[in-house]
Amino acid sequence: MWIRRLQLLGGQRLAVSHQWLICKKLLRFQLYPWVPATPAGWQPAEGAAGHGRRATRGLVRLRFLWLRTGAGLRARAPGAGRVELSGSTSGVADDCRDAWASEGLLMLIRSRTDSGTELQAWAPDSALRREPLWTQKLALESEVEDKARDEPGTGSLPLLPCACAYVSPQPPFCRPLAPELRARRLELGAEHVLLLCAAGQVFSWGGGRHGQLGHGTLEAELEPRLLEALQGLPMAEVAAGGWHSLCVSEIGDIYIWGWNESGQLALPARSLAEDKKTFTEEGLNGDGSEVNRTARAEDGASAPFVAIQPFPALLDLPLGSDVIKASCGSRHTAVVTRTGELYTWGWGKYGQLGHKDGTSVDQPCRVEYFVEKQLQVKTVTCGPWNTYVYAVEKEKS
Amino acid sequence: MTEGAECPGDPGAGAGALWDALRALLPRTKEELELELGSGVQGAVRLLLRQATELFYGDRLSECLQASEAILDYAWERLNTGPWQDVDKDWRRVYTFGCLLKALCLCRAPCEASAAAKALRVCDLGLLMGAAILGDILAQAAAVLQAHLPSAQRPARDPSQQPPSPKRARREHASVPDVEQERAVPRLHRPSLQHFREQFLVPERPVVLEGVADHWPCMKKWSLEYIQEVAGCRTVPVEVGSRYTDEAWSQTLMTVDDFISRHIVSQASGVGYLAQHQLFDQIPELKRDIGIPDYCCLGDGEEDEITVNAWFGPQGTVSPLHQDPQQNFLVQVMGRKYIRLYSPRDSEALYPHQTHLLHNTSQVDVEQPDLEKFPMFTEAPFLSCVLSPGETLFIPAKYWHYVRALDLSFSVSFWWS
Repeated sequence: MWIRRLQLLGGQRLAVSHQWLICKKLLRFQLYPWVPATPAGWQPAEGAAGHGRRATRGLVRLRFLWLRTGAGLRARAPGAGRVELSGSTSGVADDCRDAWASEGLLMLIRSRTDSGTELQAWAPDSALRREPLWTQKLALESEVEDKARDEPGTGSLPLLPCACAYVSPQPPFCRPLAPELRARRLELGAEHVLLLCAAGQVFSWGGGRHGQLGHGTLEAELEPRLLEALQGLPMAEVAAGGWHSLCVSEIGDIYIWGWNESGQLALPARSLAEDKKTFTEEGLNGDGSEVNRTARAEDGASAPFVAIQPFPALLDLPLGSDVIKASCGSRHTAVVTRTGELYTWGWGKYGQLGHKDGTSVDQPCRVEYFVEKQLQVKTVTCGPWNTYVYAVEKEKS
Repeated sequence: MTEGAECPGDPGAGAGALWDALRALLPRTKEELELELGSGVQGAVRLLLRQATELFYGDRLSECLQASEAILDYAWERLNTGPWQDVDKDWRRVYTFGCLLKALCLCRAPCEASAAAKALRVCDLGLLMGAAILGDILAQAAAVLQAHLPSAQRPARDPSQQPPSPKRARREHASVPDVEQERAVPRLHRPSLQHFREQFLVPERPVVLEGVADHWPCMKKWSLEYIQEVAGCRTVPVEVGSRYTDEAWSQTLMTVDDFISRHIVSQASGVGYLAQHQLFDQIPELKRDIGIPDYCCLGDGEEDEITVNAWFGPQGTVSPLHQDPQQNFLVQVMGRKYIRLYSPRDSEALYPHQTHLLHNTSQVDVEQPDLEKFPMFTEAPFLSCVLSPGETLFIPAKYWHYVRALDLSFSVSFWWS
């Protein structure tokens, strides 16, 4: 018998929430800065109580919201398809099939018998009252709807269910995708887009100044471009952070590229080494040369710092574990292994790495909390500055 | 930089005076501290700014510090999204706001020795990346902090490290090119505005102007000691690596004192160059030592639209061959620079990079060209000069230029249209 539980971790030491919530496909946001989320109690869809049944299509899924600022958005699914806003604004929307939020916009897909299925963009201040900023009718064939029900995770926002368009937080809010791409999954970074197609190939486009497109240059791409470095390796997952990208192959390998300014690529980061020195430290040797600042690899040989990794690099986890799920925050990364462990790395100032402190790390570190509590991590989703985890108690034999 | 770790005398007194001076810069009421922001900044961020302001005026400074950290981190992410010139100026103002509150909160703590230095660094980051708010309050805060810092220990200076005399330089291998053999940039002594416009500005021809900047106070006043005195504790961006086209090239932040220790007095840390930095906006005291070449009035823009950059580095810094979109007056203050100029008509022979990022930069290493890869380069005609202290070089817009410092060097450039 699987038991779902809500866990709260950590104290109130840091400004923005670093609380870990365990709830299936439902994200909670803390009000900035100190109000803890009330224990959620995830409400299963009808008929699913006590069983590990997947969510039906009535369940609303929320991605990251802007918890680090004053307005928080809290989603609850007391019944199928309801989105509730609370925090600095409050509001309710029913008949939601999917929801996606960004800094300045909340996107909803709503299905009503009278008006059909519609994509709606709401301003957060609107509290979901009166009219949305913008709407667009969606023609959903029934077979697409069935697909969405059976495979939650496919065709979810920002990818539209028809896989022929995606939503963007900046106008134009709905952008077309070539149907030949056969998009399966789409993720947005701060200035780029990642796409996983049905054949397991990865495409990227948008801004590339931090190497986040993975084509080996810093040039932008206007149209989806195939990641040739990964050709022939079928991918199962893609994840986009603010300025970095990650994909997981079907056999559980991680490929990662983009900006490494906080160690979010698990490569040696200069800023982390510099932060280790106190501010008033001399930092100079006797002859005036700088204290050696290159990183040290495990074998003692010095490894140079990496600021930008412009093409995919294979990343090995400790113990060679296989990865099944991955997600990226603004400047951090989290992955779940087949054995139910959670590894995080990158920017940690707001506790988003779950290592019970605010340090950033530039190598994969296991989150010991789940090991200590004998919890098996199933999946992870990152907000910009925090991380949400779904874990279950290990089955006792 | 281990400055005196103990506060002089009564630990409370110094810190109290500093806090009072900083607090006096801020408006009396929190309503007056409100920023006017456009729609690019979401309501939730405005809420956060108001919360931080309330915490500050409510004297809940440790909480205000945390709030300002969040403001800074959030604005920093906006500043790093998209090309810099497209960043909404409001985000830069939000960033400055966060720096201001953070710097003040840091200085409230009773006598933490490094608090003022930390706060000054925060102000410098705000001046570097932010945009002026409340009548340039951050620059005022920086001035107050600088005045309150204990005078830093001067890093040990090697007395034998004098700028090399020209004779000594020639003995060093390939240090000073033999400019006699090369076509020289014409030199004029204080031409009239009309003559300059007709003969050089309009036909887009470079010229070295003598007698134009040689009376500026910087020519007599500036030395390593003076720069350390006026700007030593200020944080500046430094380019590390021989040239910006190198793979190992990077930019970092450090105080001017650190820059002088690591890259000028000693070069064991490799080549470092305080390049293309608007130092004179950051440190108004230095701005008083320089003027503006009169000929800038021949342009279309206003005087405050002229971009003034400092270029300060040891012997050997190199700016690879590149072009800039505006007219340039390069004024040499300390040391000499070897400069080569190529006309934009010969751009093809200079093999510019194809990428968008470096399309204004040549692929060719001017003084050691790979002629197999770049055969046309030898055909490209050029002018060259050694620019000495007091001289001003006019580089027409889009004119390709290559610069190498022959000595410890300080130049000031004026980009105008």
